[in-house]
Amino acid sequence: MGRKPQKNDSLPGSLDMLILRTLSRGDLHGYGIVQFIQQSSDNELLVEEGSLYPALQRLELNGWIDGVWGVTSNHRRARIYEITAAGRKQLAVETRKYSKLTLAIARVMGAE
Amino acid sequence: MLIRRLKYWLNSAKHSEALREEMELHLAEKTAELQADGMTAECARAEARRRFGNLSLTQEQSREIWITRFWSELGQDIRYGFRTMIANKAFSAVAVLSLALGIGANTAIYSLMESILLRSLPVADPGSLVVLNWHSRPPQNSNRQWEHVIHGVQGILWPGDKGTMVSGMFPYGAFETLRKESSVFSTVFGYFNGLHHNLAVRGQATSVSTEYVTGEYFRGLAVSPVAGRLIDSEDDRPGAAPVAVISFATSLHRFGGPPNAVGQSILVDDTPFTVIGVATPEFFGVDPETAPDLYLPLHTNVLVDGAGSARMYGDENFYWIEMMGRLRPGVSMAQAEAALAPRFHQWVSATASTDGERARLPALILNPGAAGLGSLRRKYSKPLYVLLMMAGLILAITCANIANLLLARAAARRREMAVRLSLGAGRFRVVRQLLTESVMLASLGGAVAVLFAIWGVRSLTFLFANGQENFTLRAELNWNVLGATAALSVVCGLLFGLAPAIQSTHPDVTLALKNVGGGGPRRAQHVLVVAQIVFSFLLLAAAGLFVRTLNKLHSVQLGYARENILLFSLDARQAGHRDPEITAFYTDLRKRFESIPGVSSATLSDASIISADRAGKTYRGTIKVSAVTVLGASVLTTGPRFLTTMQIPILAGREIDDHDQPGSPPVAVISERLARTYFGNEDPLGRRITFLDDKRDLEIVGVSGNLRYGGLKNEESPMTVFVAVSQFSPDGMTYALRTTGNPLMYVRSVEEIVREADSRIPVTKVVTQAVEIDRTISQEITFAKLCTGFAVLALLIACVGLYGTVCYNVERQVGEIGIRMALGAQRGAVLWMVLRRVLLLAAVGLATSVPAALSTFWLVKSFLFETQPNDPGTLALAAVVLLSAMMLAGYAPARRASRIDPLAALRHE
Repeated sequence: MGRKPQKNDSLPGSLDMLILRTLSRGDLHGYGIVQFIQQSSDNELLVEEGSLYPALQRLELNGWIDGVWGVTSNHRRARIYEITAAGRKQLAVETRKYSKLTLAIARVMGAE
Repeated sequence: MLIRRLKYWLNSAKHSEALREEMELHLAEKTAELQADGMTAECARAEARRRFGNLSLTQEQSREIWITRFWSELGQDIRYGFRTMIANKAFSAVAVLSLALGIGANTAIYSLMESILLRSLPVADPGSLVVLNWHSRPPQNSNRQWEHVIHGVQGILWPGDKGTMVSGMFPYGAFETLRKESSVFSTVFGYFNGLHHNLAVRGQATSVSTEYVTGEYFRGLAVSPVAGRLIDSEDDRPGAAPVAVISFATSLHRFGGPPNAVGQSILVDDTPFTVIGVATPEFFGVDPETAPDLYLPLHTNVLVDGAGSARMYGDENFYWIEMMGRLRPGVSMAQAEAALAPRFHQWVSATASTDGERARLPALILNPGAAGLGSLRRKYSKPLYVLLMMAGLILAITCANIANLLLARAAARRREMAVRLSLGAGRFRVVRQLLTESVMLASLGGAVAVLFAIWGVRSLTFLFANGQENFTLRAELNWNVLGATAALSVVCGLLFGLAPAIQSTHPDVTLALKNVGGGGPRRAQHVLVVAQIVFSFLLLAAAGLFVRTLNKLHSVQLGYARENILLFSLDARQAGHRDPEITAFYTDLRKRFESIPGVSSATLSDASIISADRAGKTYRGTIKVSAVTVLGASVLTTGPRFLTTMQIPILAGREIDDHDQPGSPPVAVISERLARTYFGNEDPLGRRITFLDDKRDLEIVGVSGNLRYGGLKNEESPMTVFVAVSQFSPDGMTYALRTTGNPLMYVRSVEEIVREADSRIPVTKVVTQAVEIDRTISQEITFAKLCTGFAVLALLIACVGLYGTVCYNVERQVGEIGIRMALGAQRGAVLWMVLRRVLLLAAVGLATSVPAALSTFWLVKSFLFETQPNDPGTLALAAVVLLSAMMLAGYAPARRASRIDPLAALRHE
């Protein structure tokens, strides 16, 4: 099942955060989200489709994002996701958690 | 989140589809991208699929996010619920049983309502059928005289809104006019109830109910025969060959099956008919209250009922034919009414001859015909609503009771809940789990309730039928009813589960962990106990009122004998006997009945005293004494020895006897009240009473005691005139035999004698006088029995509830009681301490329920007889019964409290 070595679950929950962050810059459909994350990480982070869609459903269930039917840049019908107010709040929380965590990790790594 | 989840669940097919489309788009774009990088289309598609991974697994995982947790949690809750139920066997059994009783009672009554008020006729597209009715102002003018275009009727009028009268009968001319209105109706068909006739098949006669129908009847109802063909327009015209359609049941009983019946000759009264077809088993005509055995073409009534009935067709002021129509597709009932009402108005205006008649013209209205005619609905809808209300009260008590028990248990489970909450379970999650438990209890109760309901429907039908042979109420449990039961169970579960669930997950976790009781659940418990007391009181008091009504009815002074009298009817005229021989035939029969050993006397009359269901006809015109018109007197045509047989006292003169022959001077016996009213202190014997319409003078030869004629609830002593059968041309007759021992023992001898005399005459309506009297008060008997049953049940449930509450409170106070006793409190004081609280609850309950009773009991006023809805004696009795039951329920735990061993209690602490 072709699992990628770059799969990004080294930090649990970071995919949710990445999606929210991506959507906070503008509404996108699923494929667009993958593209954006891949490009803005200089191809370091490769989002696996197998986990993208469950993640999108989970976010929608929590009310952090909303999916509506729209049209992509090349005129195809697609579900376009947008971040909700609750989603922005959640993004702030996760961003804070994330920076705390990376700082802590950096300290540990620096202390070595 | 639950709501979003629920929304998702409701639209799950749509969501799956969206997800699939979304992923396919993803694949397509990926493919396009790879292709742009230089791959061939095929390679690109394969690579995209490869990178995406397992498409359906991903879909599955995405869906699971929404669904699985919900279901798996539900599964957990149900398993946990079962464990809890099994752990509390006694509690679960009591809860399920009492719920089953409550839901079962409601289901049984609802299924009766469903069959009477909601069910459609078993015909094609019943929704497009409409019944033609009219309404008009009351027929009396300001001088209380009849002034209306209706000069004669054959059928029923019933009261409408605001004092109007309503009916479904029309003159034949109106039917002919309206059936031409084919713009709104595809068919208009007519019918009228032909009552009972003799049906002779191969010389064997029985009495059957008959419906006369127009040629369009079966086509309009869109029913087909089981065998042969049905009556059509060709059969319904003067001079057509007389044909008949019989019911499925009749074909079975009289011919041994539908195929054998077709083509057979039968005699209806004395007229030969040919059976041309058999209706389907489920077809019962258009009125759920009747089930005709025989359908005859309308115009054959001239053959069966005599040439005299031919004038019904031409008389524009005689109302008799009923009508239904089938709406054309797309035409609404309102449109049809708007089209037909002016047409009828025009027709009926022409039949009015005075200004008074013109001021009270009937106006056409249409009513839905899907469920057939409304006679059953008019008769039973109000009693059924009252019964449903009583059953609803029972269910409310049950729910309150279980909520109460759950509250007590919730208090016991507070620690468990507190532990779960402090371990991080969401409050909502715990409430949901508790609710699952109570809905499970209720669902189990609902399942058992179906058994109770089956039994309940049977006994209710039995109670309502009250021995009538032709009772046509066909109640049964169907999916509609079962669905209602299921919904009711779930609602009950939520209702009694919600308060305790919220209570027990109250967030003061630390308090609960420290095992300190709060005041909350106790207050809620007390409110529930008081509610139960109020509901029980309402049912008890209502039962008291109904029982009192029944007692009043039973103690009515009849003025004639109730016991040891056998009644039965027969109609010699329908079997072909004619004047003057028929009188001799009836006289001879009476003598033969009188000679049966054990029969002390026999007599006959055109109707039984009690019943409005008369066998024959009687004089109904104007009666005069000298020049004064006698108002409100009824005439009873009787044979010899009527007063003796019925044990009506003869106050003066003699009764009608064998000397009163067709040729001898016509005689009458009058009741005491008539004599007092119209003769004062003079001696009426030898004076004359005039039947104006018959142009007959009768000599008064006797005065009888007063008797309640035609029903127990009628005026106390209506005036009665007895005349001799032999001097009036008789139709059907009701015989009365005074017997020693059970009257029904003589039925066989009676039937033998009649068969010997003329085998074409069936004996009908065989009944004892006592049963016939009880039939007239069947509704009161039903109400008294049912309501008493309900009240006892309610009291029992309320006592269990109170008992549980007191027990629980005593248990919580064990420590306190122990200390009190250790400090020297007497047992009596402890007993009183517990009982005082019971008394307080009962007092609050009674104080609430008396005003509640006073403000709701006007609803049942029309079901009471000589009893006021606020009858103080009944209310007081209900209060005393309730109070004693409450004390009894409270005494056991109070006694236990007073027996507490202080040492043990303190150690327990």
